[in-house]
Amino acid sequence: MLFQVENLSSGYGKIDVVRSLSLHVDVGEHVGLFGPNGHGKTTLLRTVSGLIPVNSGRVAFRGEDITGLDPRKIVELGLIHVPQGNQLFPEMTVQENLTLGAYVSRTDKSKASNFEKVFTLFPRLKERRSQRAQTLSGGERQMLSIGVGLMGMPELLILDEPSVGLAPLIKEELARAISEIASSGVTMIVVDQDVELLLGICERLYLIEKGTVSLETTDVSQVDQAEILEMYFGKVS
Amino acid sequence: MTPEAIVAIIASGLVSGSLYALMASGLSLVWGTVRMFNFAHGALVMIGAYSGWYISNRGGLAKVLQPIGRNIANNSEDWGLIGDILHPLGEWILSIKAGFGLLLGVPLAIIFCGIAGYVIYIFLVKPFVGKPGADLVVIITTIAGASFMQNGVQVIFGPRYKQLDRILKGPPVEILDTAIGLQEVLIIVLTPVTLLLLNLFLKRSKLGLAIRAVAQNDDFARLVGINVNQIYPLTFVVSSMLAGLAGLMLGGLFFILPTMGSEPLLRAFVVVVFGGLGSLPGTIIGAYVIGLIEQSSAYVFSLYWAPVVLFATLILVLIFRPRGLMGGENS
Repeated sequence: MLFQVENLSSGYGKIDVVRSLSLHVDVGEHVGLFGPNGHGKTTLLRTVSGLIPVNSGRVAFRGEDITGLDPRKIVELGLIHVPQGNQLFPEMTVQENLTLGAYVSRTDKSKASNFEKVFTLFPRLKERRSQRAQTLSGGERQMLSIGVGLMGMPELLILDEPSVGLAPLIKEELARAISEIASSGVTMIVVDQDVELLLGICERLYLIEKGTVSLETTDVSQVDQAEILEMYFGKVS
Repeated sequence: MTPEAIVAIIASGLVSGSLYALMASGLSLVWGTVRMFNFAHGALVMIGAYSGWYISNRGGLAKVLQPIGRNIANNSEDWGLIGDILHPLGEWILSIKAGFGLLLGVPLAIIFCGIAGYVIYIFLVKPFVGKPGADLVVIITTIAGASFMQNGVQVIFGPRYKQLDRILKGPPVEILDTAIGLQEVLIIVLTPVTLLLLNLFLKRSKLGLAIRAVAQNDDFARLVGINVNQIYPLTFVVSSMLAGLAGLMLGGLFFILPTMGSEPLLRAFVVVVFGGLGSLPGTIIGAYVIGLIEQSSAYVFSLYWAPVVLFATLILVLIFRPRGLMGGENS
C-alpha cells in the first residue's frame, strides 16, 4: 500500500474538522474524494502534507510513518499536494514558479526533462513562460499549479479542487490533462465537487461527510447521480 | 538656484538616498518574508561601523594585539621549536601596528554583521515566530536588543567618537565647479552595484528564489519543499549584511558613535512605508526620492525644515496611494 490514513483527527485549535478518518491508496491507483463544502476535505489534505498538526491517528506513505513530519520531508518523499484555489507565487514568472516546483534535490537530475513534460502537457505554459503568474487566466493558473506539482516528481499527486471556478471548456481541457497524467502512471488523489470529472479519472471514490468517510465505492457505476444530489442538498420531502 | 547648488544638492541627495536604500531594502526584505520589523536594524548599522573600525584602525584590534606580538617576538627564542614557528607570527603582528586596513576591515565587518543578524534572529525573533501577536512582541524584543548593543558598544569602546579612514584618498571630483568627495562618489557608485547584486541573488540563485517564494506565499513555499525555518534566518543575515555595509559607508562620512544608527533607521522606516511595504523596487526608488527631497528642502528652506517637508510629502503620498508608491495587493 502506498498511502494510508488511519483514524486521523485534526483541525484548527481545539475543534476537530477531520474526525477519525481512514482511507488508503495503492500504487498506480487514482482515488477521488468528494462531498459537501466545509466537511474537512481540504483540512485532511493540509494535515496529510504536514501544514496542520495531527491531533490523533496516523499517516503512512511508502511504508514510512509521516505523521507530524515537516512538509519539506513529506515533499522529499514524493507526496506532492497541489493546493486549492490555484495557489502560486503570484509575482514570479511561469518559469520561476516551475523552477521552484523542482526545489527538492531529488528532482535535480531530471529537471530539464520535467520541464519538457510539463510544457508538452500544457503548451500554453510554454508560450507564457516569462509572464508573471498573476497575469494568467484562471485556467492557466490552475495548469501552472499542477505543473508546479509535476516538477516535484510525485509518487503521489494530490489535487485539491482543480476544476473549481473554471468555465466548462477550460474544465474539459484540464480534465483531459489530468487524465493524461493519470494514465502516465502517476498515483493520484483528486478532490473535487464535480463528481463527473472524478468519474472520468478515478477508479475509486470516497465520500467525505462531517470530517469522515461516509461511503466508499470501487464500482463507480454504482454512484447514482440522484443519490449524490441528495447527499449534497438533503432529501426532497 | 545656481547650477553649482543643484549639483551639490543632487550629490548629497544621492548619498543619503544610497544609505537609505541599503538600510531600507534590508528592512523591506525582512518585512516581506518574515512579516516582522527589525528595530535592531539601526544598531546593526552601528555594529558594522564599529567592527570595521576595530579591524581596520590602528587604535582597534591591532593595538590590542601589539603586546602579544611583542611578547612572542621577544621571548620566542626560549621556547624551542614552537618558538621558531611562532616567531614570524609575532613579527607579523608587530608589523601591522597601523591596523589591518579597510581591505580586510570592510569584508570582515560585513560578515560579522551577518553573524550578528543571525544571533538576533535566534534569540529575539525565532522564539515568537508563528505565535499570535508575534509582530508586536518582536518590535519590543528587537528594540531591547538594539539598546543592549548600543550600551554594550559604549562600555567596550568608550564614549570617544571614532572615524573610519577614507577608502579612496585623493582630491575631490569636480563637476560643474562643485567639489564632491571621493567617499561620496564611492557611495553613489557602489550602492547601485550592491543593489544589483542583491537583485541577481534574489532572481537567479536557488536560495534567493526561495526567499521570494516565502515572501509571496509561504504556504505554497512549504508545499514545494522549501524549509521556511531556514529562509527566515537567511533573510535576517542578508538584511544585516546590507545594514553593515551602510554603517561602513556612514562611518567614513561622519563620526561613529553608539546611536549613529537611530536617525537613519527612522528615515529607512519612512522610506519603506513611502515606497510600499515589501516592494523592493518601490523601496529603492523611495530611498532616492526621500534622499533628494530631504537635501533639496534643507537647501531651499533650512536644515530644520527638512523633516517637515519630508513628512508632509509622506502624508501626501499616503493620502493618494495608501499602500505607498509601489505597494501591491498583499502588502
